[in-house]
Amino acid sequence: MLKAHIIKHRRELRVEVQVNVAQGCSIGLFGASGTGKSTVLACLAGIEEPDGGYVEVKGLNLFPPSLPLYRRPIGYLTQEPNLFPHLSVSENICFGIPRDRRTEKDVAGWIATLRDRLQLEPLWNAPASLISGGQARRVSLARMLARKPPLVLLDEPFAGLDRQLVRELIDDLVFWSQTIGFSMIAVDHQAEVLRRLCPQGAVVLEQGRIVQQGSWEELSRDPATPLLRSLLAPL
Amino acid sequence: MTSDRRWIARLGAALFAVALLYPFTSLFARVGPWQWGADVRGPALASVRVSLLLTGLAMVVIVAIGTPVAAYVARCRPGERLIWQAILLIPILLPPLALGILMTLAFGPYGSVGAVLERYGIAMTNSATAFVATQVYVGMGYYVLGAVAALDAVPIMLQKQAALLGLTPMKVFWRVTLPLSRLGLAVALSIAWVRAIGEFGAVVVTAYYPSGMPVQLWVNLQSFGLPAVMPLLVLFLAVALPVPWLIHVLAQRRRHA
Repeated sequence: MLKAHIIKHRRELRVEVQVNVAQGCSIGLFGASGTGKSTVLACLAGIEEPDGGYVEVKGLNLFPPSLPLYRRPIGYLTQEPNLFPHLSVSENICFGIPRDRRTEKDVAGWIATLRDRLQLEPLWNAPASLISGGQARRVSLARMLARKPPLVLLDEPFAGLDRQLVRELIDDLVFWSQTIGFSMIAVDHQAEVLRRLCPQGAVVLEQGRIVQQGSWEELSRDPATPLLRSLLAPL
Repeated sequence: MTSDRRWIARLGAALFAVALLYPFTSLFARVGPWQWGADVRGPALASVRVSLLLTGLAMVVIVAIGTPVAAYVARCRPGERLIWQAILLIPILLPPLALGILMTLAFGPYGSVGAVLERYGIAMTNSATAFVATQVYVGMGYYVLGAVAALDAVPIMLQKQAALLGLTPMKVFWRVTLPLSRLGLAVALSIAWVRAIGEFGAVVVTAYYPSGMPVQLWVNLQSFGLPAVMPLLVLFLAVALPVPWLIHVLAQRRRHA
């Protein structure tokens, strides 16, 4: 589904990572802060241009040459909800759906499902600039899912949220990844979050390189580096 | 801020306003009875019409050309942006009279472009075209520099997010960049309007006819003296101020909405 080899130079750090994800599977990118996890995700999304390598999603070549963002079949969620402040919550959620398609039965039904599952009904007509941080994360999640992207990239989208909300959002994402069948790559430096989000396993990065990959059990049983052992250890 | 400090700040601001508006007390100076006879009124009203219509047209040209240029400059690399800023500053910093002389030489019948235009019947001196072209040159730099700042203020990540949601660059501009920068663009336009409608030095060289309000003020001063200047000055304030002021009112209402 996704085949990628990313090479990116960031100041003193050279990031070089190979990632392959099968249809409907999820994989976590795990590591300490500053190891290049977000860079890999930004390069996959097209927010940043890699210095070398290739990216291919469902047979569609994204790089090289760099495919315009609007043609990429990707949903991208970051720490910042990046809602459009001049629009209402509902307009934000429907933003990526052409106006003439919004009234189609299946599209309207899907939007209503998102609204109900994410408990957005009370906020539906509220200005996006006036909702709380937690609500904004739910809206940005709904907006991303509204287009049913085949590949979802998550760059620490739950940072700074309370545990209850994080648990709910993870459950929602896992539920929809199974319902829609999208593949997922998630970045986080909290093993606990990634383990729930991507139960199949993770790729561990240190200094821009993959130092280990495998199931969570394998990583916990035999961590490749002292840093990984420390990151996986309970507080 | 304590109550005392607030009053001191208010007093300082009031003193500033008094100093700024002090020259306008001269409207009540004893210059003799104001002249508003037919020989003053006719040309004065014609100049109001010329200024409003042609400055409005110049603003349309400025927005149509200046907005895409500003969008380009706002997204280009820092080194290239510095070059663009220098290019945009040149017509602004030049004394208007000098700009008028340069425009007349460049676009007049003896300039290379002017000769070509004249061959197609486009007169670039003492014509409505010359008037509009001069105002475009005078106001463009103000608008584009202001527009670049307004477009810069729109977070790039919002625009990238919109693109990842399937919008083409043009749609991103219309649905995200423009709505989020429109107040800044409006303020930039109001500054360009103020600069262009009050322009005298360049216009007097390139387009003495048709006379706009600033040139007509000069004509009135030369022909009839101060009593014929004062009523046109009041008229100038009455017709030139509402447009930019309204834009600022809207900007303020929007900010506090």
